[in-house]
Amino acid sequence: MTLSSNQQSLKKMVKGRGLAERHPLNWTRWITVGVIWIVVVLPLTALFLRSFAFRWLFPDILPGQWGLRAWDYTFGESSRVIEALLNSIGVALLVTMLAMIVGLPTARALGMHDFRGKKVVEWILLTPIIVPVLVAVMGIHIVFIKLRLTGTIWGVALAHLIPATPYFVLVMSSVFANYSPALEETARSLGANKFRVFRYVTFPAISSGLLGASLFTFLISWSQYVTTLLIGSGTFVTLPLVLFPFLGGGNAAVGSAITLIFVAPAILVLVLTSRSLGRGSTVMGGFGKI
Amino acid sequence: MTVKPILGAKCLKAIGLAAVIGAATPAATSAGEIAPGFDTWDDVLSAADGTTVNWFMWGGSETINGWVDKYFGEVVKERYNITLNRVPIGDTVDAVNLVLTEAQAGVTEGGSVDMIWINGDNFKTLKEAELLYGPWSESVPNAVHVNWNDPSIANDFGVSVDGLESPWGSAQMVWEYNSAYVSDPPRTFEATAEWIHSNPGLFTYPAPPDFHGLSFVKHAFYWAADDWSVFQKPFDQAVFDSIAPKVWAYLNDIEPDLWRGGQTYPAKIAALNELLANSEVYFGMALNPRRTSNFIKNGTYPDTIRTFVHDTGTLTNKNYVTIPSAASNPAGAMVIANYMLSTEHQLVQADPTRWGWGIPTDISTWTEAERAQLASYELGIATLPPGELAEAGLPEPHASWVVNMENGWIENVLKK
Amino acid sequence: MKLDRYSLKERLKIPLMVFPSMAVIVLLFGGGLVFGLLQSVGYLPVAGLTDFTFSHYVNVLTDPTFLRSLWVTFRIAFIVTLLSTIIAVGMAFVLREQFPGSRISTFVFQIPLPVPHLVAASAVILLFAQSGLISRIAVAIGFIDAPSGFPVLINDKLGVGITLSFVWKEVPFIGLVVLAVLQSVGPKYEELARTLGANKRQRLQYVLLPLIMPGLLSTWIIVFAFTFANFEIPLLLGQTFPQTLPVQAFQEFQKPELTSRPIGMAIATVIAAITIVLLVAYRRLARYSRA
Repeated sequence: MTLSSNQQSLKKMVKGRGLAERHPLNWTRWITVGVIWIVVVLPLTALFLRSFAFRWLFPDILPGQWGLRAWDYTFGESSRVIEALLNSIGVALLVTMLAMIVGLPTARALGMHDFRGKKVVEWILLTPIIVPVLVAVMGIHIVFIKLRLTGTIWGVALAHLIPATPYFVLVMSSVFANYSPALEETARSLGANKFRVFRYVTFPAISSGLLGASLFTFLISWSQYVTTLLIGSGTFVTLPLVLFPFLGGGNAAVGSAITLIFVAPAILVLVLTSRSLGRGSTVMGGFGKI
Repeated sequence: MTVKPILGAKCLKAIGLAAVIGAATPAATSAGEIAPGFDTWDDVLSAADGTTVNWFMWGGSETINGWVDKYFGEVVKERYNITLNRVPIGDTVDAVNLVLTEAQAGVTEGGSVDMIWINGDNFKTLKEAELLYGPWSESVPNAVHVNWNDPSIANDFGVSVDGLESPWGSAQMVWEYNSAYVSDPPRTFEATAEWIHSNPGLFTYPAPPDFHGLSFVKHAFYWAADDWSVFQKPFDQAVFDSIAPKVWAYLNDIEPDLWRGGQTYPAKIAALNELLANSEVYFGMALNPRRTSNFIKNGTYPDTIRTFVHDTGTLTNKNYVTIPSAASNPAGAMVIANYMLSTEHQLVQADPTRWGWGIPTDISTWTEAERAQLASYELGIATLPPGELAEAGLPEPHASWVVNMENGWIENVLKK
Repeated sequence: MKLDRYSLKERLKIPLMVFPSMAVIVLLFGGGLVFGLLQSVGYLPVAGLTDFTFSHYVNVLTDPTFLRSLWVTFRIAFIVTLLSTIIAVGMAFVLREQFPGSRISTFVFQIPLPVPHLVAASAVILLFAQSGLISRIAVAIGFIDAPSGFPVLINDKLGVGITLSFVWKEVPFIGLVVLAVLQSVGPKYEELARTLGANKRQRLQYVLLPLIMPGLLSTWIIVFAFTFANFEIPLLLGQTFPQTLPVQAFQEFQKPELTSRPIGMAIATVIAAITIVLLVAYRRLARYSRA
């Protein structure tokens, strides 16, 4: 696993950028920068414009008529966007919390101890990353119905926990790998109890890593579509579920408006965590699940 | 996907399921009951008070979604203290599948689905699997407005309703065309093929099982049969085999000149609407004859879209609501179904400025003033006069044909 | 006595720390796979299935539709992986150096990373449909005069729309992995090669590529597995027929026919089997890259 190998790399990149020499803008750089900006910004701009267009028929390059109708509908009751937004946030928070409870001890064990069976634990963590979660969710659906978990926030959260847990553990284990327990020993020897050691020593040391891992876990839950579709039974709707019918037919203005709401937290998270990206491919691969 | 036995796949499934579940036989209404478990309508009303109804319905239309929330959600909350939870689904079959899956898992009460917007083969599937609550629909108070002696009400795609579902609207297919490009739309299947061949890339239809796409295929079957009344009887393999080849030949013949050379089809009606709106194609279809005018008004369509019907007529059907036997809240669902039948509500529903849906109840039971109000509604720019529509109406085929038409299309047109 | 208890506690410490997350994954994920496998062989009494049979696998594996879907899925995953790598490596080589605007551009480069797949699909439809924004620009320039003149890029035969959405998402992922490797080794090897007289091409071929190769190989497997397993992008942007395997599996699974569910599970199990092979390959490569 390439968990901790690239630990320092991005720090260097951000601070000193590794190659300290400053280069002028030659044409290769111009083209690369141009392509990056166009390819990333154009789609988001198009979505933005579309959401404010009342009528935007072929072949108009800009909307013929502008209007807030799509946004009115989006925030109105019948679009259920508000309800879905609250559900999305609620289930993502629940998943993050659960992942933290079950994942933090494991992450600490993986990051700070060598033990027999560590390889097995790593294997088990990797499996839901590579093997599609959809397969497992399809298999367990019937059991969830029996247990009356379908259509409930708990059922959906448990389904989201399948992809969320391994990523949370892997990100946090690389945080713990960089963490030295010496200070804990010192605190203990000075008479601090377990809680105080955690509160005043461990937590401050891992807090920024924990924030990154939590945001990341939040996003994994936030972007789940097919797991929610199946386990939510249609009665528990999240944002991607309301968005889906508007894509590829359906009102494109409303689709664009909901898309923009859906994408907002992702960009926010990126702004908050861009410094800690590049922690090795397995961990970052989590973004592929989004 | 796999080559399925075309003969009544859904029948076999329903029988198999009934055998598996065994216990889920619906409770019959005993004498003196208005519906299973309820002696009087007041019992139903008090059981429904303060409850929530999970209504699973096709959610692909903003107009309908907004309308249901406003004209059902708010009204039933205020009058009956019922919270209506509209559950939008991509296709009615999703709700049917959920009911079947829950039954398979042994859920016989407290199920997720309280009410489904349904008709045709989906109703048949649930009825045959014995997973419907009832009978109830002939005994709710407003059933007096429903002419249960009318075979087009008492039979849903030829399947006897038996009090297991209640009507709430009526649909009729119309064709749409863009009058900016097409002055005289083709009104027969032959003329349509001709038009497609001389204007390649500008015509398509949604892929079945989309309901509209399936309607297109059904119309082709009606056209290919010398006498469409054969489809009114239950499925007959020999008859099917004698007609189907002509249909597949027709559809495969136009395929290379369809939108995108027939390489792909719009997956759902909303995709076709979008194509028509952007002039990617010049023809569309609607199951509500008044929808086109609404689309022009709300900016979805350019104002040059108009509707027409074929000389040989277009299919009409009733839309119903049904209650699964495992429903958590049959009382609440019945109260809503009953409210749908009220003339007060039907007048709102038929108003073209709001939704403009077809009326399934018997307007001879209405008062003079109510009928006058209905007559005063304006048609809308792209809507055909009611007389022309009524004249073109054809009954839907018996539900047992539908799955065979659908699978046949997949095997003989899509995969070819 | 006290010592014994202490060591027992010590011995149990690691298993207790590892247990909660393992329980979640083994119960939910492992349980899901097992129940899926049971359903695919027609044996899950809870679901009323009691006839043990391999016929669903025989049906699936001999069905030409399945084979076409398998091919489509493989082809798309392969092309996405290949294209994303080429673009990502090229961009990483440019972005690793400092130049005016390099910092903010590196940030913009990362934006697609946390953006949900559905958003990528939504944007691709808006831009690349036959009546989409790019088609309209082509009309304004005078290249084409009707939507039909614009190439079919959505719901198309080759999966161009699907490929575009995935590439948009995966390029920054691969790019950042490569950037991280390049930054961590720094310029020292290149400098050394330069002093030894290696030209630009030689430095690339003998120094930089060998450096990023191990990281790239494991990244490939992740990208390939994600593309292979994704459901919503091919559902939205794919053809009506043939569809990719996950879509086919889910659609079979969702049909109301009693016989369809085991068929959907059989397809899903095949997907799981293929990805497990990828998983084993990943572990091997990871070991190799650490060595």
